[in-house]
This record gives sequence, C-alpha cells and structure tokens, in this order.
Amino acid sequence: MREVAARVVVPGRARGPALISADPISFLGDVDIRSGRIVGELESVANASLAGTVLFFPASMGSAGAWRFIYQLHVHGTHPLALVPLGMPDPSVVQGAMLAGIPVLTEPALPPEDWLRNGDPVEVDGEAGVIRLLREEGLP
Amino acid sequence: MELTAEDQALLDGAKGPAAARAMADLVRLGEAYDAPDMVDIGYAHIHSGMALYQGDVELMTDLADAGAKVIVPSSANIANADLVNWQATGAPEALFRLQSRAADAHRAMGSASAFTCTPYWAGHWPTWNTHMVSIESTVTIFCNSVLGARSNRDGFFATYAALTGRYPRFGYHLEANRRGTHLVRIEAPLETISDWSCLGFHVGAEVGGGVPVFEPPPRRPSLDELDALGAALATSGGVSMFILPGLTPPFADVAAAFDGPPPPALSVGASDVAEVYARFTTGPGDAVDLVHVGCPHASMEEMRLYAGLLDGKRVHSDIELWVTTSRTVRRMAEEAGLVQSMERAGARVISDTCPMSCHFARTVSPDPALGVVPPPMRAIVLDSAKQAKYVRDMIRCDTLLTSAEGAIASAVAGRFVPREAGP
Repeated sequence: MREVAARVVVPGRARGPALISADPISFLGDVDIRSGRIVGELESVANASLAGTVLFFPASMGSAGAWRFIYQLHVHGTHPLALVPLGMPDPSVVQGAMLAGIPVLTEPALPPEDWLRNGDPVEVDGEAGVIRLLREEGLP
Repeated sequence: MELTAEDQALLDGAKGPAAARAMADLVRLGEAYDAPDMVDIGYAHIHSGMALYQGDVELMTDLADAGAKVIVPSSANIANADLVNWQATGAPEALFRLQSRAADAHRAMGSASAFTCTPYWAGHWPTWNTHMVSIESTVTIFCNSVLGARSNRDGFFATYAALTGRYPRFGYHLEANRRGTHLVRIEAPLETISDWSCLGFHVGAEVGGGVPVFEPPPRRPSLDELDALGAALATSGGVSMFILPGLTPPFADVAAAFDGPPPPALSVGASDVAEVYARFTTGPGDAVDLVHVGCPHASMEEMRLYAGLLDGKRVHSDIELWVTTSRTVRRMAEEAGLVQSMERAGARVISDTCPMSCHFARTVSPDPALGVVPPPMRAIVLDSAKQAKYVRDMIRCDTLLTSAEGAIASAVAGRFVPREAGP
C-alpha cells in the first residue's frame, strides 16, 4: 500500500475513487450542482461526476462563488468526498469545504499522475496528513 | 495561531453564539493557512443569501435569527432578483418573496443592503491598507489593486469576519504577497471599456493566481476600465490583485513592483484581444433575445454613457435591453434623469441582479415550490467578458461580445453589431 504525504488544510477522513483533473476548476460554472457532473470546458475530466470521488485538481480559478457551489454539492449529496488541490486553493474553496465538512489536503509529495489513475481507490487521511492508495501496486 | 484576549472572549461566547461560531471558523481558516494571528478589518462585502440555491437564504436568516450583528461597515453582494422592481426581469413572485427574506436578515444584522458586485460605486470605498474581506472576486481585485486595501478572495466566511471584526492574517493581508509575479506589455490598442475587459480575460488565463504588473499604458485608464480589467482577470484566472505602477498604489515604477528583477514581459497584442471577442461570439447575429450592459454593475459614469448612446433612439421591438446596476447608482441616475430617459427609449434598468445571477441560470438549484423556470434564450449580446463566460456556463446560450457602443447599437438595430475594431 502506497502512502503519499500531504499538507492538511481541512481535517477529516474519506475514501473513494480518485478523479484526476489536469485542468484548473471554477466550481462556479464548471460543475452542475444537481448531478455533480463537470459541465465546463475541462478536457481532462469532461462529463465526469465529482460525486463520491476524491478529486485531485491543479488549482481553483474563477469566481469566489466557489464556496457556494461546493456547499450546494453537499446540500444535494453530489459532492466529492475529499479535495486534493495541488497547491493552496482560494480561501473561498477552503471555506466551502469547511462549511460542507469535506476534508482538503494539498501539496501532495508526489503529483497524482505519478502514482494514481482515475478510479483507483484512495483514502485521504486528514489526521495523519497522508493519502493512501488502497490497492496493491502492479495490480490493474 | 496567537489570539488576543478579545479574540478568546469572542470564542468563549462573550458576544453571543453566532459570533462565537464565526470566530471558531475563522480560527480554523487561519490554522489552514498558517496565519500567525488575526487583523482588525475595516470593511466587509458579504453574502447576500441567494434565493436560487436551496438553503442559501437560510444561511443569512439563521444568523439574523440568532441575534448576529455586523460590527464593521458591511455591504451585501449581488442577489438573485431585483428587489426594487421584481417584475422587470419576469421573475416569479415566490422568488422575490424568498429573496426579500434575505434583505430583511441584512437589515436586522445592520449590514447595508447594497446587493451589488460593485459596492464601491455605491459609496463603500475602503482606503489604502485597510484590511477587509470580500465574497465577490470583482470587489477583491478592485479594492486590492485600485484602492490599495487588503483582501483575499473569500467565500461565506466574509460574513463571519463582519460579525467579529477580525480575520486571519494570510494571503493578500501580508505585505510579501502584494508584489508582482508577471510583467505584461500592452501592445493592443484599447479603445473601449470592453477592450480592457478582453485584455483582462486574456491575461488572467496566462497568469492564473499571479499578480500581473502592467507596463505603463499609452493613456491613463478610467475607473470603469480598471473595474472591467479586474473583473475579467478574476474570471479567467484566480487573480486577486494587479498593479499599474504609477497609476495604482503603492509602486511608482515597474522595478519597485517586483521583489527582485522583473521577469521577461508577456506581450498582449490586438490579436489577443480580438481572440477574446471571437471566443465569446457564437451563433448567428440575427437571433438575439437580450442585450445586456452593466457587468460589473454599472457606475454612474457608465449610466451616463448608456443614456447618451440611447438618446433619441428606440430599442427594437423584438429585443430586451437590460442595464444592470446597484440600487444606489440607480437612485443617483434617477436623480439625474438618466433612468427615465433610458426607459423612454425602451430599456429596462435593473438593480440587485444581472442575467447570470437571476432566474435565467440553469446551473442553480431552486426549491421546486418557487416555480422557477428559466426562459428559452437563443443569444445574449453583451459587453463584458466576465458576464459572457458565466452566461455560457450558467445560462448555456450563445453569446455575442461587443463594446457598450456596439451593444446599444445592437439593441436598436435588433441584430448583433460587432465592436468597431481599433486602428
């Protein structure tokens, strides 16, 4: 089992399949609240659903309304279970995650594409400050 | 994080349960960003409570019901309905009623019910080095860049800061983060306010979360052009602050705006600006339902510009022309006779909301009981890259991007009139 250290922004624990975006995300505009689907022009995750995933993304961008959309995803039960931005995200994103009770870890010691594929089961541990890959390496 | 005795007393409930909860969440936020302590804030631009999102108005009414009071000058951000004249947008009455509950909560808490994305045009003008909070990215970038105040791109916790007067010291509250990261050379001719909007949209996408420093432009931009520049920078990127040395505080020249030698300049030419217009011009120009000006919410000067362009003209019978502004500027424009003259020409002057923020949006989640049905929309002519981006994402119709002059001409002609490209 592989563990990668990360900085804890919002404590908490979650398990879910990894969803890796190569594109920065504007939660206002790029995400449909009711379905949890990506509807913006994000090539790497076009049409993917955020619901129940551990979402890796390079950065947040656009409207400071991000908090409201993260909170609304939670209200509708379509939210990602954890957020892993690669750098410190906008305060609006962190505030939305705190309101919604969604753990946030950032600055993972290894970029996700080096050790994860979409759908890989991962655990975000916001107590220990690590992200764990929950399958044996080398297995499909 | 180091807390003062007053901070600790707030946490312990000295000012009631709402302020205690607000302080607890501000402490968590500060810990997330390794803030050393908290600062006193002098101004807060806070959440309106949005009737198109389930449970969102309740975020504000719950605070008001718990006895919360703002303790610094506070203004409310844009709302989902025009509370001055709700019928003007064709909104269902139930949506107006729910939005009005948020307005009541603001009154009870003591915040100014500005309901605008440009509170500075309504008299909320924080000055140099004032620590502040803002839930609106356009307000954050205008106040950081043009006024020299200090603000992050906040979310709901801006409201918590208004209730406590405190905010963790991190991000743009720290001197070290208020320096340039990118240098930009403007080689495009910039004729209109919308040209500055397109410049901002192009540069924002290039610099992401950086702080762009612009080499001196050929002429001093107006406040409206600076507003358009900032709004667009904050839309395509995550920009919180830009610097125009010698024109915006505090740096006199390019060298002073960087901590170290300036990086190589990124040049922006006429083709880069034209490309933003082209990107947001889709669909045929003869199938237009709405023409919109006033994003960000119009200043008094912009109201004067629109009224002048409409003078002696008549809006085409197949088209609606929306002029959006704050309720405060609307009153000022009424005093000057501008609203009446635009309405005589067939325009609708609307405050408190805008196309992407009203019931036209399809990515919202209203309570089904409100009976909100977005009207069919083929295309919207507009003069703001910010509005264009979010109309595309949220209303999901075609956009036709032009100048304010082109937009008003479109409304009169009944079909899209592109901007007059510069020399």
